[in-house]
Formats: sequence, structure tokens, C-alpha cells
Amino acid sequence: MDIFFLVMGMGLCILVLFVLYRVVYGPGVFNRVAALSAIGNKTLIILLIMGFVYHRVEMFIDISMVYALLNFIGTIAASKYLEMEGSIV
Amino acid sequence: MIKPSDDIIIKTLARVLAPFILLYALYVIMHGHHSPGGGFQGGVIMGASLVLLAITHGLKETQKRMSEKSVAIFSSLGVLIYAGIGVLCLILLGNFLDYSKLAKLLNVPLAQARSLGILGVEIGVGLAVMAVMFSIFYNIAMGGKRSEKDNR
Repeated sequence: MDIFFLVMGMGLCILVLFVLYRVVYGPGVFNRVAALSAIGNKTLIILLIMGFVYHRVEMFIDISMVYALLNFIGTIAASKYLEMEGSIV
Repeated sequence: MIKPSDDIIIKTLARVLAPFILLYALYVIMHGHHSPGGGFQGGVIMGASLVLLAITHGLKETQKRMSEKSVAIFSSLGVLIYAGIGVLCLILLGNFLDYSKLAKLLNVPLAQARSLGILGVEIGVGLAVMAVMFSIFYNIAMGGKRSEKDNR
């Protein structure tokens, strides 16, 4: 089962690179924000898979919850920035 | 200055989510010695809940719950708790932050005194970090203006 999770995690790591292309070259800001959010989701799953591989899921669940939370707040801040046209701060 | 958002979905979601974020921050502070986390991380999560409120409900609404005065009080109180526990151990003829000396004062076994001492220090760190995080966000958001009145 460890091999399965390891392969899944490596596949997700490769998928992150494809989404990273959308972040860097993506046309427009909306694509970039959506792609950043997708990278956050993938990182969350990769963290949980790492927990399974190291047999310490209960530790990695804490980290992944904080990551999801901060990713959510970051996405809201970015969309707020778009709504106000450059004046969140 | 951050204006309040008009979107009812974002506002409702933030209002529902904020107490749970605070609860999770308390969990991270309390469980700092069993799992990843501790005072600093819990304080940052607490600050994140305040930042979420400020983004969605506007700075004015957030100031009713966390005014600039209480930010200053909380940040000083956190440092006071941290340094106070340290100096208390000094007074009880130990080293700085030598929690085992607190056993006589708290009337508990030695190991429990150490655990309680670390918990107290982490609560102090969490309070200070939460207040300073929000203070930094607030000062950046105001753009150097002193208060809401100067903005008009």
C-alpha cells in the first residue's frame, strides 16, 4: 500500500508542474488565481499522502488543515484585490 | 482602507468560519507538545481569522471587535505572561524559565509543573503573535494613516 501512495504522490507532484505553467503564462489574472488555488489543493492531498507514507497521518492532518485554511484566505484576498481594482491595502 | 464586501456568500461564510478558526487555533496552542504547532503557529491562525474578518466585513466592523487599543494591550499582555513566568522561576531560585520550580507554587508533581509552565508560555506567545499579526495587517491596510477619521 505504501508503494501505491508513493506513486500517487509523485504523480500529483508532476501534475503541479502543469498547473504551475498556467500560473506563470496563463492569460489573465483569473486563470492565475484559479491555478494557484488548484496548486493549494494538490499540496494538501500531497501532505496527506506523505502522512500515509510515514505512518503519521494524525500529525499531517493538522498541517494540511492549516494549509487549506490559509489557501482559502489567500484566494479571498486575491479576489478582493480584483474586485477593488488594486486597492486591498 | 478596506471597504466591506457586498457578496452575501463571502460574508456568511466568513462569519460561520471565524469561530471554528479560533477554536482550531486554541487546539494548535494546547496540543503544541504532542503535534506540530505551538504558540507561534496558533497565534498566526488566530491572526488569520481576524484578517479574514477584516477582508470580508471591512476594517471598521473588525475594529469594533478588536480595536487598536486592545491590540496593544494583548501584545503587551502576551510578552508579560512569557516574561512573567520566566521571572517567577527566577524568584523561586531557579534559572530563567526553569518550570520545575513552579511545582511548589502550583502544588502539583514535577512533570505536571513543567507541562503547565510550557502551556502558560505558549499561551503568552500565542496572544502576542495574534495581536502583532493583526497590527501589521492593520497598519499596512491603513496605508500610514493614523485612524479612520484621517482617511476622509
